[in-house]
Amino acid sequence: MENFRKVKTSEEESPLPFSDLPSDVVEMKVKEGSKIRNLMGFAMSKMGLEATRQIVFSGCGRAVTKTVTCVEIMKRKLGGLHQVTKVQYKTLLEVWENKDLQPDGHREHLTVHKNVPSICILLSKDPLDPNQMGYQPPDHPEDLWVDETDTLEERSGSFPKGVKRRLASPPHEEEEEQHAKKPPLQVQDHQEDLGTMAGC
Amino acid sequence: MAEAGPPTEAERALRRRLPRRLPRRRSDVYVNMKTDFKAQLSRCQKLLAPGAGGGGGCAELCIHGLGLAINRAINIALQLEATGGGALRLAAHTSTVELADAAEPEGDSDEPQARTRNNSAIHIRVCRAAPH
Repeated sequence: MENFRKVKTSEEESPLPFSDLPSDVVEMKVKEGSKIRNLMGFAMSKMGLEATRQIVFSGCGRAVTKTVTCVEIMKRKLGGLHQVTKVQYKTLLEVWENKDLQPDGHREHLTVHKNVPSICILLSKDPLDPNQMGYQPPDHPEDLWVDETDTLEERSGSFPKGVKRRLASPPHEEEEEQHAKKPPLQVQDHQEDLGTMAGC
Repeated sequence: MAEAGPPTEAERALRRRLPRRLPRRRSDVYVNMKTDFKAQLSRCQKLLAPGAGGGGGCAELCIHGLGLAINRAINIALQLEATGGGALRLAAHTSTVELADAAEPEGDSDEPQARTRNNSAIHIRVCRAAPH
């Protein structure tokens, strides 16, 4: 692939994985470079309206963490929100172009289908079906982390020590995203279809 | 030579601590970005494989991912679902985890300075679909 460069990436449009959504539901499409400040400014003003009952955050690939962070911030700020989380693969279509011209003056193009993990989170002011997969009731702080009381006691001796001073209320961080040592996009070889040649 | 003052922020070594309160059942899998992806995936597959021998036989798994590893946790869960032939269901939950960093001075002169910050986490329950 050294001689190729990416010229275009497009997402395959897929409907939201939630049923019974109003057609005018606010959908926040979180991208890798989106600023949380901008996203939350828009989303909070929308949710501030009484008429807005639901909001959807979606993101794929490297934007997944940011998407979850936005949802967590909104839940903390507003409270009483019902949540449904869905994960799925999203197909990205990448077009790669050969840097070298072919003898006939054309450039060789490659079309690559990539499956990247994506997340869609629905936050609702109104109750949702609690039996569907991925439902989280409101104000349920850390259900999966604290219900194991027996394991807690086992580990109580190894709690981190030296936590003496606390600084002011911590911001919700989005660190490491930019400083990833490894390419964080996790696509398996067998997920990629590199063979689709489209000679243009 | 002037006497050295208290260490400045730059002279402290930042230690990141592990998150508190980790439930550690056999069916809890903590995904990280250091271990090979395939190794973590096959570990989950082994745990879900039927039969009590050989480390398998878990009725359901709970895959946890923190921060950057959210992506990988989702990827592992989706791979399990795809290879499970429709027999598995995923239920994802999100949460905020409070992390404590400690800035320790190079010498042992000063007490460590602690700082808490939040990070996002995901917890994906992988369970067998109820037989219809």
